[in-house]
Amino acid sequence: MPSYEQTGIQWVHQVGIFFLTFVLLGTVLELVRRGYLKERYALLWLASAAGSFLVGLFPGIIEGLAALFHFQYLTILFGLYFAFTLALVLSFSIILSRLSEKNRALTQEVALLSHAVEQLEKRQQG
Amino acid sequence: MDISDSEKDNCLMTKRVLVIIPAYNEEETIASVVASLREHAPDFDILVIDDGSTDDTAKVVRELGGVELVRLPFNLGIGSAVQTGFKYALRQGYDVAVQCDADGQHPVAQLKSLVDHLEKGGADMVIGSRYVSPTAYVPSWSRRVGKSLLSRLVNIAIGGGITDTTSGFRALNRRALRVLAKHYPDDYPEAEALVILHRSGLRAVEIPVDMQPRQGGSSSIKPVHAAYYMVKVAMAICIDRVRRFTHISGEP
Repeated sequence: MPSYEQTGIQWVHQVGIFFLTFVLLGTVLELVRRGYLKERYALLWLASAAGSFLVGLFPGIIEGLAALFHFQYLTILFGLYFAFTLALVLSFSIILSRLSEKNRALTQEVALLSHAVEQLEKRQQG
Repeated sequence: MDISDSEKDNCLMTKRVLVIIPAYNEEETIASVVASLREHAPDFDILVIDDGSTDDTAKVVRELGGVELVRLPFNLGIGSAVQTGFKYALRQGYDVAVQCDADGQHPVAQLKSLVDHLEKGGADMVIGSRYVSPTAYVPSWSRRVGKSLLSRLVNIAIGGGITDTTSGFRALNRRALRVLAKHYPDDYPEAEALVILHRSGLRAVEIPVDMQPRQGGSSSIKPVHAAYYMVKVAMAICIDRVRRFTHISGEP
């Protein structure tokens, strides 16, 4: 029976990390290949996958952090994934803000242009 | 697309003034506002920005004739609608733009005094204020509290001098239009615009006007939105103090 005081990373968790990493990597690359995901935004996800891969490769990172903060290593592991998720969500908010700003300018431009077209048509008829 | 200053000097004898009326579902009141504008300020051109109305606002305006109408394809919010008018005014070479509500609350009779005050110089924006002298306008209790807090915040940010920071009855010159055509909040823009102008080195002053009660339709600020309004505008004003405005340096 595994003991809860155990600090060394368990091999089954390490396998799990690698599995998740490759599922993530495969999904992202396939989405880019099919054109559903732009490379620009895929980079964030690839960085997350790279981070996850590093953690799988050097579990000492997790164990070191766990010892430093007096957490169990699983807590640290999920904490890291959570931090990645937060970074991704924040970047989406930034992208969204930029898009909504562009959308507003475009909408105003369309309205002004369609008014200009109306004026031109009126002048031609009259 | 701005027309050049020399071109403007050639074709202009007097100042050209545009009245910008943002309208969202104002079919009941827009006609009377336009009629009273024609009566009190016949020299001013009128532009209605239909902010994606779902009623017959656009139809009513078209039937009036002699009024320019720009229709946004969907509702963008009062700030974006007004900003569309600013862009229009700049491109058409107007010297002054006056912002006026479509609900009949703004005293159109006093619109000329806003413009006169602006033309005297010394200010880039003139605000028609409801509080400078005693007027008939009495806002609700919750609105008073919220507005007085925000007003204090704005005055701290701009070094004081404006009592009615949320009045949407304003006249602006081209310098102010240029700044606000680039940076204007999409909702509840009035208070923040003061801070943006201040940071751009422009000056706003206010003169007293009498506000009327609404003639129809419903207020754009519903009680449920009051909390969002307070927090959003307060945050924006604080950030405006340190915000990086890319266009401001090097502008005339």
